[in-house]
Amino acid sequence: MPRWGMVIDLDKCFACQSCTAACRMENNTPVAGKDQAGMGRAILWNEVLPFTEGEYPNVVETMIPRPCMHCDNPACIKVCPVQATFKNEEGTVLIDYTRCIGCRLCTVACPFTVRYFNWYPPEWPEEMKAHLNPEPEVAPRPKGVVEKCTFCTQRLRKARETAEAAGRTFAATDYIPACVQTCTGHARYFGDLDDPNSLVSKLAHSPRAYRLFEELGTQPKVYYLKQG
Amino acid sequence: MTATDPKSRFSRRDFLKLGAATVAAGAGLSMLRPGEKPAAQPLASMEEKVVTTTCALCPSGCGLDVRVVDGKAVKVEGSALHPLNQGVCCLKGQTSLEILYSPERIAHPRMQMGERGSGDWKEIPWEEALGIVAKKLIGLRESGKPHTLALMHGDLRGQMRQTVQRFMRAYGSPNMISRESLGEGTARMAMWLSQGINGLPVYDITNANYVMTFGGNLLESSRNVIGYLGATAFMRRGRPQRGKLVAVHPRLSVTGVKADEWIPIRPGTYGALALGMANVMINSALYDEAFVRDFTFGFEDFEDADGKIHQGFKSLVLESYTLERVANITGVPTDIIARLAGEFATNRPALAVLPTEVGELSSGNALYTALAIHALNALVGSIDAKGGVIVQRFPDLADWPAYSLDSTAEAGKAQERIDGAGTQFPLAISAYQNVPERILAAKPYPLEMLMLLNANPLYDMPEDGRCLEALMKVPFVVSFASTLDESAAYADLILPASTFLEVWGDDYLEGTGYAGISLRRPVVEPVHDTRDPGDVFLDLAHRIGGPLAKALPWQSYKDLFTDRLSTLDWKKLETNGNWSEMVYFNATPGSQAWKDVVGRDRLNAPKDGRFDLFSRELFALLGSDSDLACLPHFEIPSALAESSVGALEYPFLLITQLLITQSQQWQGIIPTLQECYGLQGYVKWDSWVEVGQQAAEALELHDGDRVWIESAQGRAQAAVRVRAGLWPNAVFLPPGLGHHTFVRWGRDTEDNLIVGANPNKLIEFSSEPLTGLAVSGPTRVRISRA
Repeated sequence: MPRWGMVIDLDKCFACQSCTAACRMENNTPVAGKDQAGMGRAILWNEVLPFTEGEYPNVVETMIPRPCMHCDNPACIKVCPVQATFKNEEGTVLIDYTRCIGCRLCTVACPFTVRYFNWYPPEWPEEMKAHLNPEPEVAPRPKGVVEKCTFCTQRLRKARETAEAAGRTFAATDYIPACVQTCTGHARYFGDLDDPNSLVSKLAHSPRAYRLFEELGTQPKVYYLKQG
Repeated sequence: MTATDPKSRFSRRDFLKLGAATVAAGAGLSMLRPGEKPAAQPLASMEEKVVTTTCALCPSGCGLDVRVVDGKAVKVEGSALHPLNQGVCCLKGQTSLEILYSPERIAHPRMQMGERGSGDWKEIPWEEALGIVAKKLIGLRESGKPHTLALMHGDLRGQMRQTVQRFMRAYGSPNMISRESLGEGTARMAMWLSQGINGLPVYDITNANYVMTFGGNLLESSRNVIGYLGATAFMRRGRPQRGKLVAVHPRLSVTGVKADEWIPIRPGTYGALALGMANVMINSALYDEAFVRDFTFGFEDFEDADGKIHQGFKSLVLESYTLERVANITGVPTDIIARLAGEFATNRPALAVLPTEVGELSSGNALYTALAIHALNALVGSIDAKGGVIVQRFPDLADWPAYSLDSTAEAGKAQERIDGAGTQFPLAISAYQNVPERILAAKPYPLEMLMLLNANPLYDMPEDGRCLEALMKVPFVVSFASTLDESAAYADLILPASTFLEVWGDDYLEGTGYAGISLRRPVVEPVHDTRDPGDVFLDLAHRIGGPLAKALPWQSYKDLFTDRLSTLDWKKLETNGNWSEMVYFNATPGSQAWKDVVGRDRLNAPKDGRFDLFSRELFALLGSDSDLACLPHFEIPSALAESSVGALEYPFLLITQLLITQSQQWQGIIPTLQECYGLQGYVKWDSWVEVGQQAAEALELHDGDRVWIESAQGRAQAAVRVRAGLWPNAVFLPPGLGHHTFVRWGRDTEDNLIVGANPNKLIEFSSEPLTGLAVSGPTRVRISRA
């Protein structure tokens, strides 16, 4: 059973936000609009977050692209009162939208702020609904539930189906999330962290590798390689 | 594996699927029991295919694989077989489906019934619309005034540029006016005046060891941004030796953040820094002496045919651009300038990258700034070298059919251009920003008809009403806009263009260097009753007849470009979506091939394979007493003088810079781009103005305060963002927002009507007297609390 994980090389990431847009188009996250976005309610599972330190002219800015960390020891699951959010057998943290009661405890508990609440029913102008991804897993979520990055679970399912239809065994390299595929600097790597020969597992052991808030003990499965 | 709660062992994944499927069906909570499979298998019955096409949202022209399910385009990926983007796709490409299915698109041709600008539109059939335009065009031709037609255009791709050129020439109008003079025209002109190539420079970052970008847009909005992103990543991590990227910009842009080093510099003084670096390189003999001696002209002082001594690059730089003086002008300390020069000269191949967009070359003498920066490349021998500046090659295509002009067209062609290119500005290719004034002055003649193709002059120009007045003065205005942009709102007639996802076409692989073609094909059936402007021009040519029908004999644009591309390997073109040579051959200096990369397009200067540090093209034009005007040099823009009256009234210098989250033509209608808009401003859907820490302290401004930014031209409102990474007296306002006509999204609040501010409204464009290129400042502004 693979244990899916991601590595993001900040030396090759140029903060272009292609991942952010690819994620939205793949996963049908709704557009918030100006007023709602102004209240911090834009739903972007894969945002790029800027941080500034120092004063002119010695300024250091960092741009961190941030998907869900799919922690091995996730804080969100512990606080969910209805077991709507869970970690599956492959280590991916998912949400059962039909169980979610919208209490948002998980949203607060997550140290990485990856969880987004649907304050309104998802809305698109009628014409624009044509481009929504028809996969059932990404059907627009109703008002009142929390959603977040799923490592594009629909792509995993499709990759398995494709392998099955072709009569071969599914391999971990058959599947990558949309953000990894579109990454303009080829900065993202995805694969099975448990396979010592996989590229992600090798990179995760690189001396440049670190994880966000490692000290909190949530054991994220998203690794960063530091810039420079 | 971590232990999982046994109760949730029954596949949570299945449960998720069930849940999602039921939501999709709109049934709300379902009563399915564990273990049951969902009844509906919605995708099994769907017809799914992937269509490969070529993006048209920025000049890169990447290959796209569009996933089409049941006739609807649902996802865009980069095409892995395209040599430029190699499988990746930027956020504009990703969100292009929001353009295709936008409710803001114009669905049918429409005619203004009331007064222009009144919004009283009537939808009419194509036949009628084309009839009206053709009748007007025929009328102008018959009355002997074909030159009173002008066409203002933005980016034209592949064969489209020549198609439109042929149309205008055969019709008899000299007035094909490119928007290029607002931006990358400067880089093109610098390439021509120095290297003798009429083309935009392409940078071989993949093989460079040291890349110094002047201006902050290399990794955000340069012409070939996707290629450069991949190349920079490769330069850092894809090869044994890591190259260094240095960004010189008054502001710590995303490019600066991601560069290895950011050099803050006083706005508008790039040229001085480049010349200061040249001074160090010459003084310390770090430049490539053999290359400079054998393959450049004008490095040393020289004697002309009449025995007159002229100043060369070396003595000018040594006399006038000493470290101390340059440090004073640019604000970059002497030790840093010296170090940069040393690093640049000793880590070859090194590249000095020209900014290409408007506002980036913001000094009062943009052309000489560009010449100074490009001269650095010659000093280290990076001309058409591996890891240097390379020259875009183009494939050999089938010849255009011959045609001859009739007397009407001949007479029209001989007329002066409405923008003054070639007359008022002797070297200009176009002078877009000069058109409104000339229309208003009816100089050299009153304009009778104006066509707008991918151009929105009302948005591009300052808001002093002059541009609108000029537009209203033209009796008949036709726009090819796909959405109701500011200028289209004042047109008489709109012939809505299809989006790039609905049409046939082609694109050169510009930015790779080597020759190649990328195929554009319809991904879906046209969503609306729109047409490709290429087809419209062919249709009009047939209606008008005469030389036009001979110049453009094709029935459709698809026929036209397939004829043109008939020399290529179509099997490969259709299978891969592109055809290319896949490899760039660098020319050895002095070889036969060298003539194609240095001096090829010179008109009045010798094609001797020498790179002009002293521009002989300018010398031929300006005469023998103009040494300084032929050399890269730097004049301090008047706006930079701190003691002037303007400086007291307007203490800040405005800088703007294109963002990657910005789409030239479509910004207003792509909600996801808006939602990603202000990465460094911490805002979405809105403009922000960056103010330096000290200035913010002095003015008691804090993040989020609304302020007016005011110049002598106009004012705009935005929220403050106090920025550490900004030149102390600069303020930054990003371009791209502030559209008036087509922004509607989200709940109906006042705020949602007009989104953001348009910095073009603050900037005064003037035109460079020789080249007609727009120069814009730096514009002085002041800030006051709103």
